[in-house]
This record gives sequence, structure tokens and C-alpha cells, in this order.
Amino acid sequence: MGKVKSFFKSGRFVSLVWIIGIVLAWEIAAFFIADVFHDRMMNSKLPYLHSIIGTIVGNFALLSMACATTLSRAIIGFAAGALVGFALAIFMSLFRPIEKISYPYLLLSQMVPILGLAPVVISIVHKVQIGSVTIAASDITRVIIAAYITFFPVATNMLSGLKSVDADKLSLMFTYAARKPTVYAKLMLPFSVPYLFSGLKIAAPLAVTASILVDSLGAAGGIGYNMTYSLYTGTYSIFWASVLCSAAMGILGYYAMVLFEQLFMPWKRGSSKKGGR
Amino acid sequence: MGIVAVFFRGMSEMQNIKGTFRNNSAVRLVPAKENLMTDEMRAQSEIRIEHVSMTYPEEGGRSLTAITDVSLDIQKGEFISLLGPSGCGKTTLLRLIGDLLQPTTGSITVSGDSPKAARMNKKYGIVFQNSVLYDWRNVRKNIRLPLEVMKIPKEEWENRVDAMLDLVGLSNFGKHFPHQLSGGMQQRVSIARALAINPEILLMDEPFSALDEFTREKLHEDLLRIWQRTNKTVVFVTHNIAESVYLSDRVCVLSPHPGRLSAVVDIDLPRPRVKEMRDSPEFLALVSKIRNSFEGV
Amino acid sequence: MASKTFSAAMGVILPVLFGVAIVVLWEHQAFHRLLNVKVLQLPLPSRILSVLLENTGKIIPDAVITLRTAVLGLLIGSSIGFLVAIIATFFPRWGYGGLTVLSAFNAIPVVALSPIMNVWFSSPSVAKTAVVSIVCMVAMSVNAFRGLNDLKPFSLDLMKSYASGMGPVFLKLRLPNSVPYIFTGIRINVASAMIGAIVSEYFSSASNGLGFGIRNKLSTGQFPLGWAYIIGASAIGILLYMIVVTFEGLATKHRSN
Repeated sequence: MGKVKSFFKSGRFVSLVWIIGIVLAWEIAAFFIADVFHDRMMNSKLPYLHSIIGTIVGNFALLSMACATTLSRAIIGFAAGALVGFALAIFMSLFRPIEKISYPYLLLSQMVPILGLAPVVISIVHKVQIGSVTIAASDITRVIIAAYITFFPVATNMLSGLKSVDADKLSLMFTYAARKPTVYAKLMLPFSVPYLFSGLKIAAPLAVTASILVDSLGAAGGIGYNMTYSLYTGTYSIFWASVLCSAAMGILGYYAMVLFEQLFMPWKRGSSKKGGR
Repeated sequence: MGIVAVFFRGMSEMQNIKGTFRNNSAVRLVPAKENLMTDEMRAQSEIRIEHVSMTYPEEGGRSLTAITDVSLDIQKGEFISLLGPSGCGKTTLLRLIGDLLQPTTGSITVSGDSPKAARMNKKYGIVFQNSVLYDWRNVRKNIRLPLEVMKIPKEEWENRVDAMLDLVGLSNFGKHFPHQLSGGMQQRVSIARALAINPEILLMDEPFSALDEFTREKLHEDLLRIWQRTNKTVVFVTHNIAESVYLSDRVCVLSPHPGRLSAVVDIDLPRPRVKEMRDSPEFLALVSKIRNSFEGV
Repeated sequence: MASKTFSAAMGVILPVLFGVAIVVLWEHQAFHRLLNVKVLQLPLPSRILSVLLENTGKIIPDAVITLRTAVLGLLIGSSIGFLVAIIATFFPRWGYGGLTVLSAFNAIPVVALSPIMNVWFSSPSVAKTAVVSIVCMVAMSVNAFRGLNDLKPFSLDLMKSYASGMGPVFLKLRLPNSVPYIFTGIRINVASAMIGAIVSEYFSSASNGLGFGIRNKLSTGQFPLGWAYIIGASAIGILLYMIVVTFEGLATKHRSN
């Protein structure tokens, strides 16, 4: 009985209620549009949630292929961008000149609408041939843009972490006559892990978005392509199904990072330390 | 009669002491500029601080003098406190000893070596006001940190950690993480970590300032017990007069603006110290004596 | 002393030198050789600059349209977000859960939002503004909520000791406390608004705006002009950001954080 009670009091219960509420609101709104206002454009404006899910189930093969395409490119780009961002942050903290050069550009990058520059990359990239394997231009573009958009938040946050190591911890390492590689390995890198994950959590949905954007701007596959093509041909059911899938992928990417975070940081970042004062 | 008065006035001025000079056997105010140690004692002292000054350059061409012309000899196995209000340079002095800072003038030697050589030879254990524990490591791994960094052979790690945990009374908490411990316990881990490499000198920078009085007094008992068992030299920085009197063999009184050593007080209370001493007249007299020896606060 | 000014000077000189080096390399086609790209596809900086200057008459009206979409959407979205934060503050238990769910919605890619808004609203400019508004809602709500609720310890107790009701507490404590957080939200939203505006222009039926310019010129092979549009878009993004940062500095001048 106690367990049930605590469930009702928990934050999870509240979130659950909210989700149920939104689902209900959706269905009711769709109902209004269809049966009350008799909007013939109903299918395009806001179909019933359950019918969207029906479409997904019905076209599962098609949609999952498309999602896999988009997601795989996004993941590769994300990993590449994260790695480069991570490395750059370390180099920036090791060598002041590198930091001085890179810092303004990192700052500028936050102000420039990066996603908006996707067409440029598309216009430059062409397909690559390695032996008998052809890598499509759109694949390369997706990876590049996803990497580019991941790189900036990861580098910025990681650098922030490396710079926030408190002076006492560094002094302690100094008294142990520790050399730089040791200080990084045992102190600065573990310390910065939470900051790294902040960056990754920001970047994950962005990488997915970047991949979808390239799809919709004229790639040969992927969920974004489905979205625009279905709009073009008027098959709104597929359109909405694709929209839902894209949203799901974005949310999935974020929660995947949350999961990784739990794995890498099993100790809970203490909320309140007991005693003392 | 007048000659005697002049003589006494001259004496007190020579001794550079402010306030009345009381002939109390528990209190011997030793003037800073003169050391009443014999040459043999001086030769055996573990830490020699000679005319050390520390000046920081500041913006606009000015400079900040943290401490000026401090000379002190610290004996092996002694428990000595550096006591003073903020701005008196006590932390600076501690960091100079520990080679975290270099003096602008003067010299410090540790058993004949420079502080840097001492640091490289693992002579120091340092405890900060914050426990500075790594929250991604559990207690055992935190204690193990200096052993890892200073390349102590791996086989010895477990034994040393066990011994340290036993010493600070936290044997059941080895697998806990810092955020699961109270402030007092975290400081005990911090002390255990400092002692893990078996240093000769323990440098403590206001380690108990952030704790409540009850925890603090308990840790005083723990610290004295540990000191008795391990015979380390302890340099203890604090702003709490009673704390310095209770723990130390000698108390160095530092006054601010500029930071300088204004007096060194022998604490003649018997060892081992017991809690009841805190209320004894001798204790209170010492505290009051020290309080009056501050200059320019 | 001298080293500090030297350090600060290097902080400006080095990146500028680096930037200049990149432009020079670009002009001399180093990147073209590296990436195996033709000059046609990747125009030279000198060409881009001249085209940019020639076509300011076309670029500026487009820029104004994009700017209008972005700023309007920013204001609407931020206001809604702020309102949601206020509601969440007064109904703490349910409000916070609502915020979390809203945050999950933030993960919906803007590329999916844009077609939906196009379907909902017949007017393209309304659709675009709607996209930007939605994109800006969440960041503002999260930051504003934190600002209204992350109060210094005991400050709430202080107000209670004055027997202060919810209203004055809000006006005199929560609201002023939240000002820096609101500015953080606006700062984040400026970038999102620009991206939202430009991306929604990619999908819009309207043939104006910087986004349209970029996509249209690039796909019709007018590469230098397309790049000129990109420079315009970046410049506006930076400008907006600088304006917000300036206001932020003025508004939070005497605060400790």
C-alpha cells in the first residue's frame, strides 16, 4: 500500500498525468476538427492520434527503414563531432594559444544559425567512391552537418568543465608532484564528465534534426524525405506518421544520452551533503 | 627606584612585547625577532623559516605584502599552530612551507632540503578546509589517490588504505561515496588520505573551520590520538584561539596589515590533553594571554 | 602587468590572424584542392564580397523579413514560455511536471514543426512565426521557472516574516530575481529563433526571406549570391546576439551573479 501511495506522490505520476492529458487533448481536438467542424482538411491538420499510430504500424517496414537511415547517419556524425569537440577542448586547456584562437570562434558559432547553413554543405559535397562502394553525397552531408552541429556544444561545455576544476584540487595534485598527464587522467577528465554530458544532451537532438533536415532538402531516403515527399503527394497519413517518428527519434536521442550519463556516473551527484555546519 | 623602572621599561621594549609581562610559568611570551632556542635545538629543527617575506604584485603597480620577515623554527614531532585573523598571512605561510608558493625573500629549509625537494620526496600531507574529495571515487579510492600518483607499488595499496581507515575510525565506510558522508567524516577521509603516503609533516589549513563545534571537538580528540600514534610534525592553521591552545605545543600568533609573527606562545599544558582542560584556569589564562598579544586587529 | 595586456592583446590578435589566414587560403583555392571542389561550387571570398555589395538591394529586404519573423516569434514564444513558468510557480507540484514534458517536446525537430505549421496556417508568414514561437517557448519557460524559483536561501522566509502575500512576494522577490535568467533564456532563444526562421523559410511557399534566398540561389547555381545570403544571415545572428548581450549587461549591472 505504501508503494502505491509513494508512486502517486512522485514526479513520475505527475508526468504520466500530463502525458495522458496531452494524448486526450489531441484526440479531442482531432474529434472537433473532424466531426464538429467537419473540416475536410482534417487529415492534414490534425488526425486522430490513434490513426497516426495505425499508419505507423501499417507501414512499419517503410518507416523503420527511413528512421534507421536518418538515425544511423546522425549517430555517426554525432560520434565524430563529439570526439573532435572533446579533443579540441583538451587541447584548448593544454595550450593557451589554441584556446585564444578557438574561443572567439566557438563563441561566434553560438550566434550563427548553423542549421540554416545546411544548403551550403549540400552544394559542395558530392559522392565518394571507395573501391566498389559508393557513399552517397547525401550520406556524407548528413554526417558532416551532424558532426558540425555536435562539435560546438560539446567543445564549449567540455572546456567549461576543464576550467572549473577547483584550485584546491589542483593544489593537492601539485603536492603529490603529479605530472600533467596524471593530473588530466585522474582529476580533470573525470571532473569534466558531467559537463561533457551536458554538451552531449544538447547536441543529440540537434544531430538528429540536422540529419532530418538534409533528408528533407533533397536526399534519397530517410524520414525527412518521407515527410516532404508525402506532403508533395498529399498522403497526409504518412506525413503525420513521419512527423511522429521524427519527434520520437529526437526524444530518443536525448534520453539515450541521459541513460549513458547514468552509466558513466553511477554515483548520484549529491543533492545535499549531511552534517558539518 | 627610577633606575629600576627605566630598566624594566627598557627590557620590555627590547623584548618588543605589547601589554604586561606576567611571570606565569605556563606562559612564556617569546619575542618574534629573537629565538630562545639553543644552537643544538636549531640544528635539529625540522623546518627552518628564515626572514621570509611574501609580496604579490597587484594591478596599477602596487604590491600586496602577505607576510613580512617571519622567522621560525619548527621541531620534529611538534604540534604547532599558526593563529590569526584573516589577512594575517597564516595560510600564505603554510603554503610557503608546502612549496605551493615561493617566498619573495628569505628561505625555508626542511631537514636541510628545499621545500620543493621535500615535496618531491613525499614529505608532506596536506589537509584543506574543504575536504577536496573526488566525488567520483569512493572513500577507499580517495585515500588511494596519492598512492597512485606517487607511484607507490600496487601491492601495498590495500594494506595502507585499511590502516588509514582504521586510524581515522572509518573502517566500515570504505565503499561509501563522499556525498553520503557528513562533513566531519569527509574531513577524516581527507586526513586519512594525507597520511596515506606516510609523510613526515602534516600541513593543515583550517581543517575544522567549516564544521560545527560539536563535530570539531570530536575531531580534536581524533586528531590528537592520530598524532600521538604517528608522531608526525603538524603545522596547523586556525583562527580559533581555543582550538590552537587545546591542540598545540606552541602557538604562533600572526597579526595582519602587514602579516607578521607577533608572538610565539609555549603551551605548557600536560599531555595527553583531555576535554576537561578546556575549562581549567590555566587554559583560560593562555587563551586570554594570546588574545591580548594580537597587534593591530 | 605587461604580461596581462600582452595576453589580452594576443586574445584578439591570434584569432584575427587565424581568420585572415583562412580567408587567404580560401582565396588561393587551398580548400578547393583539399576537398576536390570546383570554384563554381565554392566561390572565392573576393567574388562573394563583390556580389554581396552589388546585391544589397535584394538582400536587405529579405533580411528584414527574416528578422521580423525571428523577432516576433521570439517575443511571442518567450512571453508564452514566461507565462507557463509563472503558472508553474503558483502551482508547483503540477507545474514542474508540465515543464519536464514540455522539455521533451523541445526535442521535436524544427524540420517537423515547419510543415505542420504550414498546413495549419494558410498565411506563410504566420506559419513561420508560429514555428519560431514554439521553438522559443521551452527554453524561456525552463529558464524563467528557474529564475522565479531558485531564490537565495531564506529570502522567501524573510518575505513571509513580513506577512507578505503571494502577490507582493512575486513582484518584489521572484520577478527581480528572475531577470538574469530571463536574459539567459532570450540569449539562447535568439540563436534558436534565427535557425527557426531560416529553416521554416526553406519549407515555406513564400518566396522571400534569407532562408529562401540561401536555398533558392544555391539550388539554381547562383553560388556567390547564395553565399552572400549566408553571410547576411550570420551577420544578423551575431548582431542580434550582441544587442541582447548589451541589454543583459545593462540590466544586470549590479548583481552578484
